[in-house]
Amino acid sequence: MATAEQQADILERLKNGVIEYDEESVVKASHEALETGMDAYQAVMDGLAAGMDVVGAYFANGEYFVPEVLMCADALYAGLHLLRPHIKMDTEKMIKGSVVIGTVEGDIHDIGKNLVKMMFEVAGFTVHDLGRDVPLDNFVEKYMETDSDIICMSAMMTTTMIGMPVVIEKVRAKNPRAKIMIGGAPINEDIAQKWGADGTGKDAPNALQEALNMIGVLRDLGDQFKAERVQKEWGADGLLDATKP
Amino acid sequence: MSIQSKDAVLKVLRGEKPDHVPNFSGMGSITLHGIQQLGYRFNEIHGDARKMADSAASTHRLFGFESAIVPFDMGVVAESLGAGMKYYEKADLGQIIYPTMTRKLVDRSTVTVPEGMSEADAKTFVMKEIENQITNYQLQKPADVAQAGRIPIVLEALRILKRELGEDVAIGSWTLGPFTELGQIMDLEVLLKLSAKKPDVVNRRLQFMVEYLTEVIQLYIEAGADFITVREMGATASILSPRMFKSLVLPNLQALFGRINRVPTVLHICGDTNPIIELMAQSGASALSIDQMNRLNESRAKLSNVILLGNYKPFGAPFCEGQPEEVEEMIRQSIEQGADGVWPGCDLWPVVPPENMRAMMAAMKKYGVKSG
Repeated sequence: MATAEQQADILERLKNGVIEYDEESVVKASHEALETGMDAYQAVMDGLAAGMDVVGAYFANGEYFVPEVLMCADALYAGLHLLRPHIKMDTEKMIKGSVVIGTVEGDIHDIGKNLVKMMFEVAGFTVHDLGRDVPLDNFVEKYMETDSDIICMSAMMTTTMIGMPVVIEKVRAKNPRAKIMIGGAPINEDIAQKWGADGTGKDAPNALQEALNMIGVLRDLGDQFKAERVQKEWGADGLLDATKP
Repeated sequence: MSIQSKDAVLKVLRGEKPDHVPNFSGMGSITLHGIQQLGYRFNEIHGDARKMADSAASTHRLFGFESAIVPFDMGVVAESLGAGMKYYEKADLGQIIYPTMTRKLVDRSTVTVPEGMSEADAKTFVMKEIENQITNYQLQKPADVAQAGRIPIVLEALRILKRELGEDVAIGSWTLGPFTELGQIMDLEVLLKLSAKKPDVVNRRLQFMVEYLTEVIQLYIEAGADFITVREMGATASILSPRMFKSLVLPNLQALFGRINRVPTVLHICGDTNPIIELMAQSGASALSIDQMNRLNESRAKLSNVILLGNYKPFGAPFCEGQPEEVEEMIRQSIEQGADGVWPGCDLWPVVPPENMRAMMAAMKKYGVKSG
């Protein structure tokens, strides 16, 4: 077992490797984490994800722009691929959620969507990625088919975001309590609220900012899910049983 | 006296004093109301010169909008270079989905992953392979640019507009800028990373785009465009650092604008342009177009001698969803903050209600006529 100092050192190098988009350093630290028997989940959350939190702050401050954030994401993935197979499923600690994600029909911009997807993966969600230019009905179908907890829709352009309220309405008709998040360059909190979405990135000037902000949103939601998952019961028609709390 | 629209638009773009602040655009400005009155479907106006021209003209004919612009979608140049397009023919009547690229010249679909590779290794492999392809792809201009893809349709639409509307109304066309256009034909994620890691490679590709866009724009001008807008939204400070804008994007914009001498030009960038507005002013464009995220009054103060077009929000509230009096107030603010021409921050969102279009044009008569 690694000593507390060694562990702190490894976490620090995972975090800084993501921030400095140094893939080699992240890979090396990930191997050390596994060799010294560190908890892989802790290495992901307190190392890699903690680094991405800082990257998010840099992006918000205008220190980093999209190219830098994409390189940071590559460094994170390099570590995540090594560490994830060693994560022990711990029902107490981990979010057991499932999410459907995609970029709406007419829009082929998926950089922001892919970063949001990465965050969900980091947090331990099962992610059903519909890709880009997704016909609106596919969101609803996949959501019902997979019994997911969240639907995430992304749009980069004002000309495509108009599909979002259509999906929200259809999902709400099936399940009034569905969690729906929307994001993308033209989306802000006012629009999310008006369309009846549950969330978007705070002050997000674009999809990327939302992806980075969402780490925090997810942590808050995590506890809610654990509680709701237990209570949730689906009727035979695919609707929530209204008699259950 | 009738409003001299064409005269006012061209005077503004040349830096002369017009009789009123014109309300026009260099980007897509069609309304669903206009298209439906013509009996056209949204998905068919992108591939038929007559329908394209009629749709573009309808915003002037119905509301007095002071320009007519083609094309409407962002795929024309990419398609002429060989990118695959989708037109959403099956979309519902009246559903607004703009044509998009289904296949770029270099993207994930052009990479074959070796069998048996793990998911993690495959991701790395694909990224490396796309990087190689972006570096080495032999970009080629079409043998006959005027006949490539839908360029002949845009050219014919411009000729129709010139013939039928060109006496009274400024006819405009547009392309994307070199950087944004490169992102339309090559994987954007890898391109953005390469811009940081190997700027020389990206710059070489951008020089090709400058050459090609120059040829396309010259054809648009010959067909009747009175002014040209170049939309470099991929290089907004919401995406790229001002440092990278200056070293990689700006020199290629300067090269492009340096070659377009016969008509006025507009550089449009949306999103956050506050940190780069002064660099934009060095591009050589006749005028700058910004969207609602630009603090127009600050930009006005920084650039007293630059023609600024902007910057109302052409979607959501109030333009598409508000009351006519809110639209009037939005236009009043644009003029008050120092816009030389009232101009939208993006394509007009076509679902704008006719009464709001009318309120916008009426507001121009109220606030946009210069006294003395």
